[in-house]
Amino acid sequence: MNTALNLLHLLTPESILVETILVVLIAGLFKATAQKRNMLLSLTLIGGVTAGAMLIFQPHYGNIANGMAVLDPLTRFIKVVVLGLSLITAVYAVQSNIRQHFAEYLALILFTAIGMMLLAGTENLLMIFIALEMVSIPLYLLAGFLKQSSASAEASLKYFLVGGVSAAFLLFGISLIYGTTGATSLRDLAQSAPAVTRDPLFLAGLVMAIVGFGFKVAAVPFHLWAPDVYEGAPTSSAALIASGSKVAGFLILAKFLAIGLAGAAGSAASSQLQPGWLPLLAVIAAISIVVGNLAALSQSNVKRILAYSAIAQSGYMLLGLSATGGTALISVLFYVVVYALTALGAFGVVLHVEQRRGGSQLHHFEGLHQSAPGLALCMGVFMISLAGIPPLAGFFGKFYLFAGALGSASQGGNLGLLWVVAIAITFNAVSLYYYLIVLKHVFVTPATHPAEPVTRRNAATFVTGLLAVSVFAIGLYPGVLLDPLRAAAQAANRKPVTAAPVQPK
Amino acid sequence: MSPILFWIFSALMLGFGAATILNRNPVASALSLVVSFLGLAALFFGLDANFIGVIQILVYAGAVMVLFIFIIMLLDLKAEQRRQINIPALLGGVAIVVAFTAQLVTVIRSYKAGNEPFAAITPNLPDAHNIGMTLFANYNLPFQVIGVLILVASIGVVVLSQRELK
Repeated sequence: MNTALNLLHLLTPESILVETILVVLIAGLFKATAQKRNMLLSLTLIGGVTAGAMLIFQPHYGNIANGMAVLDPLTRFIKVVVLGLSLITAVYAVQSNIRQHFAEYLALILFTAIGMMLLAGTENLLMIFIALEMVSIPLYLLAGFLKQSSASAEASLKYFLVGGVSAAFLLFGISLIYGTTGATSLRDLAQSAPAVTRDPLFLAGLVMAIVGFGFKVAAVPFHLWAPDVYEGAPTSSAALIASGSKVAGFLILAKFLAIGLAGAAGSAASSQLQPGWLPLLAVIAAISIVVGNLAALSQSNVKRILAYSAIAQSGYMLLGLSATGGTALISVLFYVVVYALTALGAFGVVLHVEQRRGGSQLHHFEGLHQSAPGLALCMGVFMISLAGIPPLAGFFGKFYLFAGALGSASQGGNLGLLWVVAIAITFNAVSLYYYLIVLKHVFVTPATHPAEPVTRRNAATFVTGLLAVSVFAIGLYPGVLLDPLRAAAQAANRKPVTAAPVQPK
Repeated sequence: MSPILFWIFSALMLGFGAATILNRNPVASALSLVVSFLGLAALFFGLDANFIGVIQILVYAGAVMVLFIFIIMLLDLKAEQRRQINIPALLGGVAIVVAFTAQLVTVIRSYKAGNEPFAAITPNLPDAHNIGMTLFANYNLPFQVIGVLILVASIGVVVLSQRELK
């Protein structure tokens, strides 16, 4: 088979999504009827589920054009996750207050999904950059979709400007790395990077690339866009920014650092500091945890609380990334997937409250347990999981992450990262305050709002409930998520390096 | 390319690039951009990348600029209003840029390979053929993904620029 056919073979799910987008866009041109939104959503879901099914039945391994597009069990797992998160966002969108251009809204969600899937499935710096743009540009548009709202326009513009600057940094960094090593494929980079780890130009490129990625995952000090974007963007868009793009961003950061730059890691152990990306990452992680958790304390808008909590959670995940080797990658991916499910669920509850009560300030959540007891319970599950209290999934995520960071062999083995872990655990206790404040408004404070009609069940609340159940289930049996991840990561390491896709036996 | 020509064209490119941002009149900005592109095209010719140089002139200095000026005329853009400059923010920005540039210059000066002369470039003709082969064989996937990205951009323009229906 020639390359073009191999490419099509490997990227069938993405191609199906592109076709779905075209169908949805054309269907959006028909005259508006009462059922049109549901019809468009069904088309999106049918396309998305078909693409997901194709993903599962694809060949197990593939590698096109020296890492431009790769497929292995781990990549496929993450692709299924990001596709699922995007489809849930599409379900949310039907309940949101987007009236105009609904077909385009769904199309942009699918474009983001394609970008995230390409990002998950590449090991080449050039494709990483293009796929990141493929994620970012639809997200800028999704953030600014409410044209009558100035907050939405502000969110979109801020996100766009900051995203543009970060893309410039990333591109500059990548070009310096390419200039010093002559490699764009991460596997080639791993071969040539150790020779230039002391090269100042290479280190400058490395720092700029990390700055670029830092903007994408909203780590301090590159986080200032996050609260305004989460608050101003339509809630379904913010949910996608908080969940799917986080998963894809962390997977690619992990690949970039662990595969491409494994030889340039340095050391962040307090006893033996060495230049490289590890000390940089450890410091960014520590600042993100401190600033995110402290700034969340003074917020009165639940979306802003979620934004600062997302910054702090980014810090925890970066801490996990700085614990290289062993099971560190699996614990980071476990954590980020659990976080994405939880954040998506929390935004589902926020969406409901916004539609019912016209805002997402803390006082809008008062007495939610009376008008919507099911959703109030879900919010309880999400908040307690984010705070990391057993037996919910967030606890196990943090447990594996911190255990991995403490036992990290590359840090000298003897508790080299203890200083960051100590900060993380201390500020995790601080974070309890703002998570519980939200729950206090949901459960304890009596409703001051006029009584509202009893909630009718709809697809969005159903999905939110499903997310809560899954967070609960992963907490009870972490193996549900951990075993497939572990198996996929092991299988990915055994990968035969061939150009043509290998059919499963 | 002789060093003198290189410096002249670089100065042309950077100078008119700055003029693009500093001019308040949109038409003057657009025309400065044309000259900046011409300087860039000359640099490409100096590297024996003739095809890219020609494309730079045809597509950017030609087609894209005509489109720009067309839109400026169509929208009847007025000269930009003078804005109040936030002095502390400006000073902070300048300080960061200066520090960043100083660091970059130090780093590049200490880069050994950067102080050695380039190996002579032997032009590998026909370059249009080479670029086509590279683009469609090695970089087929990025090329196609960028095609999809352009679809995103055109959808975005329609969504953002269309007036709300009443």
